Amino acid sequence: MGLIASYNLRSMVVRKWTAAMTAGGIAMVVAVFVMTLAIAQGFRSTLVASGSPQNAIVLRKGANAESLSGVARADVPLIESLPQVARTADGRPLASPELVVAIALPRLTDNQPANVQVRGVGSRAFEIRDTLKVVEGRRFTPGSREINVGRLAVNRFKGLTLGSDVKFGSTTWKVVGIFTADDASFESEIWGDIDLMAPAFQRGGYQSITVKLVDPTTFDSFKAAVEGDPRLYLQPQRERDYYFAQSVAMTTLIRVFGSFVTLILAIGAVFGAMNTMYAAVAYRTREIGTLRALGFSRSRIVTAFIAESTMLAIAGGVIGCALALPVHGLSTGTTNFSSFSEVAFKFRITPLLLVEGLAFAALMGAAGGLLPALRAARIPVARALREI
Amino acid sequence: MKFLGLVLKSARRSKRRTALTVLSVAIAVFLFASLRAVLDGFNAGVEGSSSTRIVTQRSTSLFFEMPISHGEAIKSTAGVQDVTWANWFGGVYKDPQNFFAQYAIEPESYLRMYPELLLSPDEKRAFLEDRTGCIVGDGLARNYGFKIGDKITLQVGIPNYGTRDFDFTVRGIYKSGGAPVDNQSMFFHWKYADERSTQKGLAGWYIAVIANPDQAAQVAAAIDRKFANSPFETKTDTERAFQSSFVGMFGNINLLLGSIALAVVITTLFVAGNTMAMSVRERTMEIAVMRTLGFQSATIFLLIAGEGLLMALGGGIVGALLAWLLVNPRVFPTGGFIPEISVNTTNVAIGIGLSAVIGIVAGLIPATMASRLKIVDALRRVA
Repeated sequence: MGLIASYNLRSMVVRKWTAAMTAGGIAMVVAVFVMTLAIAQGFRSTLVASGSPQNAIVLRKGANAESLSGVARADVPLIESLPQVARTADGRPLASPELVVAIALPRLTDNQPANVQVRGVGSRAFEIRDTLKVVEGRRFTPGSREINVGRLAVNRFKGLTLGSDVKFGSTTWKVVGIFTADDASFESEIWGDIDLMAPAFQRGGYQSITVKLVDPTTFDSFKAAVEGDPRLYLQPQRERDYYFAQSVAMTTLIRVFGSFVTLILAIGAVFGAMNTMYAAVAYRTREIGTLRALGFSRSRIVTAFIAESTMLAIAGGVIGCALALPVHGLSTGTTNFSSFSEVAFKFRITPLLLVEGLAFAALMGAAGGLLPALRAARIPVARALREI
Repeated sequence: MKFLGLVLKSARRSKRRTALTVLSVAIAVFLFASLRAVLDGFNAGVEGSSSTRIVTQRSTSLFFEMPISHGEAIKSTAGVQDVTWANWFGGVYKDPQNFFAQYAIEPESYLRMYPELLLSPDEKRAFLEDRTGCIVGDGLARNYGFKIGDKITLQVGIPNYGTRDFDFTVRGIYKSGGAPVDNQSMFFHWKYADERSTQKGLAGWYIAVIANPDQAAQVAAAIDRKFANSPFETKTDTERAFQSSFVGMFGNINLLLGSIALAVVITTLFVAGNTMAMSVRERTMEIAVMRTLGFQSATIFLLIAGEGLLMALGGGIVGALLAWLLVNPRVFPTGGFIPEISVNTTNVAIGIGLSAVIGIVAGLIPATMASRLKIVDALRRVA
């Protein structure tokens, strides 16, 4: 094995330019593969990060997005009084009635208007979403026209910096704090007092209630209690499930598109690898004959050439991953079509994604090496040795 | 031209290698033409927008509505010739997965202002006469098998429209007549939706036809001034800007598709360039003999470069034709918020042009290599 392996390795060095070009082709495919999946991954983790396992979101039955839901004011105390809802030290329920609306603001990059989600929240919303941290300024004071803006929204839209006045919903609001939320979709939002937001947007009721449960395991009994109450036409979901469902359409779209493009591109790269390997086999006919004469079996020759091609492809895969890596953490944005507002997210390249990219490269190499390797093994020894 | 036979002969020297190279260029051109078609699909709305139409929406965002009385006020603005309005309905056809756009429109004025929605006179009359009638685009009709006379039931998506399902009858299937018009939408009578909504008399956006496209900015500003400081302030823009904001929703598609296309081209350059280099190396001896016989090094250069160009062009034609045959709505129906995608002749031409570029660039280095060959060294070398 050692002899064959070093033979393959040295052959690659001899043909370094051809080998580099082949690896380069595969590197590009892997880079495209990793980058498109990094978009899907980033979008998904941004939405999933918005849900906490301990929280539940209550929507109108049948509504699959906050913007399509409606919750009456009278429903709020009924939910708040349930024993599964966690309480603050002074006994107040950790529940936040909420309302989301999309408002158009110009982007910083191209000055084009895009939709930003504005969320009216109850006074204890920050205790319920405990990943939220105010990093500049302070929280808004309930009862005043003050807003808090997510860090990603500040970086993406004009006029949202600390201290600015923002005009929407027929009044002016002052930005008194900037918050982060571990890259979750909340970081692309504007938060303010629901009791001022609802009338400003001419909305009579709320859209959802988010509660923090005493314990994640009490969700089932909470759900049973809400659905069992004949006064409530509502349906609780785990917050994490809700946000996961929101990400499905976009993530699937990107994944299908990315796989389609990379698959077709991969076929082209495999053809390139085949060309290279056929040429390699042709140059080395005499060497192959010698190896066979020395007693190496046909299957050893086949595995040797497939291994050579796979190694070459994996080297390409490593380059491709390295090419893709710099996009990790770059922030971009797209519309979440369940809320019709823009969500900023970061490209996310996970170790698993890199492994997938390398496996994909190895597969391309093996596929490209198979036919040439079989050809190499079929060469009759006597004829191969006679060849110049 | 007299060397064409020689070029073809060299290309046939290793049939398998030539075939693999041609196919890899074909794949690249196929992808490139398809990506261009995707981009065109997204920009169709912008391309199809008229310079004489301006759109008025609430300044807050498109998701807020305005009273229907705004229509008369807009119509009385100087420079405005005609006004219509529309609402987003957001209904669900059987399953939320079956997403398509549904607009509640004021039918007479809307069809008057959008002549690119082609309907036969009979279909048009039938639609105008039936309060619960609707028209659907030919793309939508194909995707869901809608025919004239079919009943379509939509569940209410936006709470404002109550809870009861809406029933419609298909009265017409509109065609785009080659214009870049969204043909995956459904239109029905605004009155039908309004009479069942909890807040009546609201329009989502107004469209106005203006007499002179050069005055779009002034007319728009005049309209917005009329509603300034009212509870329903407006923002008026050209139809083009209105459509662009929808394309912008997806994020930076141009950059994404552009980088993928670049990667496609680079990959193919690697593959094709490599093949050409290999074939030159194999023919070192031959080339040396040709040079000895008196072939100029420029001729050798052209021969090798020509071979590369020929292979790439062959691949380009195959790939572009495949894309033209395969990438159209009949084979790949899109749906929902993804526009219809179809490779047109421009995409085909650009694809073939790209293959020529690939051929020339990929052949450049090997051809230079071949033309600079020192005869004595080459003849001495044993392949």
